[in-house]
Amino acid sequence: MYRKSGLRPVKQMLMILVFVLVCPAMVFAEQKYKRSYEEYSLPDVVLVNQDGKRVGLKSLIEVGRPVVVDFIYATCTTICPVLSAGYVNLQNKIADPKQRPLMISISIDPENDNPKKMKEYLKRYNAKPGWEFLTGSRADIDRVMRAFNAYIPDKMSHYPLNLIRSPKDGKWTRLLGILSSGEFLKEYMAVVNR
Amino acid sequence: MRSITLPILAVFFLAALSLPVFDAEAASDLANVEQMSESEIMKLGEKMYREGILPSGKPMEAFIRGDVEVDSTAFSCSSCHLRAGLGSYEGGVITPPTNGKKLYAPYRRPPSMGDSQDRAGRYIYAKTVVERPAYDRESLAYSLRFGIDPAGQTFNDVMPRYPLSERDMGILVRYLELLSSKPSPGAGGTEFNFATIITDDVGNDDREALLNPIRLFIKQKNQQMALYKEFLKFDYSPTIDMKYAFHNATLDIWELSGAPDTWGSQLHEYLKKKPVFAVLGGISNKSWQPVHDFCEEQRLPCLFPITDLPVVSDRDWYTFYFNKGFYQEGEALARYLNRHETYSGTSRIIQIVEDSEKGKALAAGFNRGWGELDRPAVTTVTLTATELNNFALIGRLLAKENPSVILLWTGDTVLTALPELLKPYGNGVTLFMSAGYLGQNVLKTDQSLRDRVYFTYPYRLTPYVGIKEGGRDARVPILATAKDLGNRRITSRTVSMLQQVALRGLNLIYDNHYRDHLLDVMGMQMDLIVNDYERLSFGPGQRFASKGCYVLKLGKGESPELIPVSEWVIH
Ligand code: HEC
Repeated sequence: MYRKSGLRPVKQMLMILVFVLVCPAMVFAEQKYKRSYEEYSLPDVVLVNQDGKRVGLKSLIEVGRPVVVDFIYATCTTICPVLSAGYVNLQNKIADPKQRPLMISISIDPENDNPKKMKEYLKRYNAKPGWEFLTGSRADIDRVMRAFNAYIPDKMSHYPLNLIRSPKDGKWTRLLGILSSGEFLKEYMAVVNR
Repeated sequence: MRSITLPILAVFFLAALSLPVFDAEAASDLANVEQMSESEIMKLGEKMYREGILPSGKPMEAFIRGDVEVDSTAFSCSSCHLRAGLGSYEGGVITPPTNGKKLYAPYRRPPSMGDSQDRAGRYIYAKTVVERPAYDRESLAYSLRFGIDPAGQTFNDVMPRYPLSERDMGILVRYLELLSSKPSPGAGGTEFNFATIITDDVGNDDREALLNPIRLFIKQKNQQMALYKEFLKFDYSPTIDMKYAFHNATLDIWELSGAPDTWGSQLHEYLKKKPVFAVLGGISNKSWQPVHDFCEEQRLPCLFPITDLPVVSDRDWYTFYFNKGFYQEGEALARYLNRHETYSGTSRIIQIVEDSEKGKALAAGFNRGWGELDRPAVTTVTLTATELNNFALIGRLLAKENPSVILLWTGDTVLTALPELLKPYGNGVTLFMSAGYLGQNVLKTDQSLRDRVYFTYPYRLTPYVGIKEGGRDARVPILATAKDLGNRRITSRTVSMLQQVALRGLNLIYDNHYRDHLLDVMGMQMDLIVNDYERLSFGPGQRFASKGCYVLKLGKGESPELIPVSEWVIH
C-alpha cells in the first residue's frame, strides 16, 4: 500500500505553527488577573517538606532572595495543575538558577500530602531544585492560610493565587487569577527590579 | 495593532498553503482511525485521556493561556474532567462533561460562582461557557486545538489547548464518543442493584451488625420511591434534584466460603447471575485482597467494606476503604517515632512480628512508612504462634538485641508475659503494640508497665486531640474510654458508608448511571467528620478516607482512661 507518509512531519509542523500563532493572539489581549500589594505577618510554624525535613516557615521565607508562594494539593484537579505548570515555566524561563526565586507550594490537603506524595508530585512536574512543597498539621496549615489572607475551610473551594515576596522590603505582590507564563515572569521581574 | 495583524496574516497564508495537504492527509488518517476497532480505540484513547501519552508513546503537548507549555503526563484530561468524563466542580470552576453523549447534544451548564461579578470580593478567573449548541466531530477537534466552541465562544484559561495530529485527534475524539456511552450494568432507569459481601469466618452478630443497616437502607429507598410516585400522580412537578433522588433498590448477599483463592470464581458466579451497580460494604476477618482484585478486574465499585486487611495501593481504583487498617497503624507509628528523637535517635529498635496476616500487615505499614522517611530498616523477627508462646526464646532474643524500643505486632500472650520479660531492662525500654489488633486485650497491660507500653489507635477520640503541633492542647478529658477498645464499629461504620453512598454519591450522579462516575463524584466531596474517625478526606484517586492514627497509653485501674501521647498522626 502506498502512503504519503513523507509529508507528515511537514504537516504537523504547520499545524503547530498555526496553533502557536493563533492562540497567543487570542489570549494576550487582556490581563485576566488582579494584582495588589500586601504586608503579611507570618506565623512561626514548623512544616515538613518533600524530603521529610522539618522547616521553619518564617526562616525559610524571610531571606535575601525573592520567594513565590502558592497553595495546592497533590490530587487536585483544575487549578493546581495550572498553578504548577506556571511554576515550571517560570523555572524554565529563567536560565540562571541564581536568578530564580525560591518557590514554595503549601499543601491544603495535609491529611493526604505526605513527603512521599509531594516528592512524586514535584517529579511529575519536572520541578527543578528550589521548589519546596510543604505540609504540616491541619492547625498549622490553617494558620498559614489565614496569615496570607487565603483561608478556605475545605480544599475543594480553593482558588488560584500566587504571592511574590520582595527581599528588599518584605512586601508581597498578590496575584489572584491565572497568569500566562509571560505575565508571571513580568510580575516576578517587577519584584526583582523594584 | 501591528503585532496582532502580523500573526493573523501569517495564519491565513499558512492555512492557504497547507490546506490541500491537510485535506488529503487528513482524509486518509481519519479513514484509518475509522477502521480501528473499539477496543483499540479504548486502549489508545484511554492512555491519552488518563495518562497524557500519545499512541506513539510520546507525551501529549498542551498549552495554557497561550504560552504556558505543559507536558500532559503531569496532568491529563482525566485530572480535570475525571475518569468517567462527566466533569467536576472544584474551586469555583466547573469542568464540563466531555463524553460524546453530552458533547453531541446542546448543553447548558448549571450556574457557578464565576457567573456573578466579583461575588464575595473574588476576582473571576475562570468563567465557563454557559450554553452552546451540539458539537460534531469536526467542531470538537477544532475546540480541542483552539479552545473555541461551535458557537465561537472561547474557553477559559483552565482548559488547555492541544495541538494534536489528525490521527491522534481522531483517536481521542472516538474515545470521547465511547466514554460513558452506555449505563453501567446493575443500573436500570430507576433501579439500582447492589450486593454486599460476607465471608464465612464472620460470626452471626457481626453479620447482623452489617446487614441490619443495609436492609433498612434498601427498604427506605423503595419506600421513598413509592411515595414519590404517589406525589407524581398528584401532578407534582419535581425539581432536577428531586427527579433523580429516588430509586428502587435491590440487595444481594454474596456469601463467600472456603479458601480465599476460590472467592474470585464464587464472585464471578454471583455477578453473572445478577449484575450489580456497586458493592455496598461487606465484612471479612481475612485479607480483602481476593474481593479487591475481583472488583478491579470487573471495574465494580466496592464501597467501604469492614476490613482491617485492605489492599494498600496508590493506583487501584474501585474500592473505597475507611482506612488502611492494620497497615495504617504501623505506618503511623513509623511517623510518630521519626518525630521523636528519643526513639528514632537510637538504632536499637526491634520489631517482633507474629507470623499472621495481622502481624505482617502491621509490620508492612511500619517498614514502608519508615523507609519513606529514609530510615534504615529495623531488626525484624517474625515468630510463629508457637514461638511466641516460648518466653525463654523471646527472652534470649531480647538479651541479644538489647533494644530500647520494641514494636510488638502480636496478640496478648506476649503482653501478659511482659513484666517478666522486661525485668532485666529497668525503665529503659518502650514498647508499642496495636490497639486495633488487641482490642479489649489491651486492658491486660500490667499496671507497672502502663507508662511504657503504648498503643496505636486508629479511631476517633473526643474531643479531637492535636489542635497544636506536637502538643495535646488543653487537658480536656477524653471521652473515649476503655470500653471503646475492641469495638468493631460495624454498624456505625456501615451507616457512614450508606450515607456516603446515598448523599454524596447516588443522589449526585443524576441520570449518569456510570460506575466510574459514582466513584468520581464520591472522590470530589468535602472533608467529613464521622463517629468513628477524626476526619474523612477525599480527592480524585484517594481511596483511604481516614489517614491518621493516635498513639496512646492507659491510665491506672480496671477501666482506665485512654491517654493520648500523640496528636492525630498524619505525617
Ligand atoms: C486543567 C484542567 C483541564 C484539563 C487538563 C482538560 N480540560 Fe477540558 N475543560 C476544562 C474546563 C475548565 C473547561 C470549560 C471551559 C469553558 O467552558 O470556558 C473545559 C472544556 C472542555 C471541552 C468543551 C466542553 C463543552 O461542553 O463545550 C471539551 C470537549 C474538553 N474540555 C475536553 C478535554 C480533553 C479531551 C482534554 C484532554 C486532552 C481536556 N479537556 C483537558 C478543564 C480541563
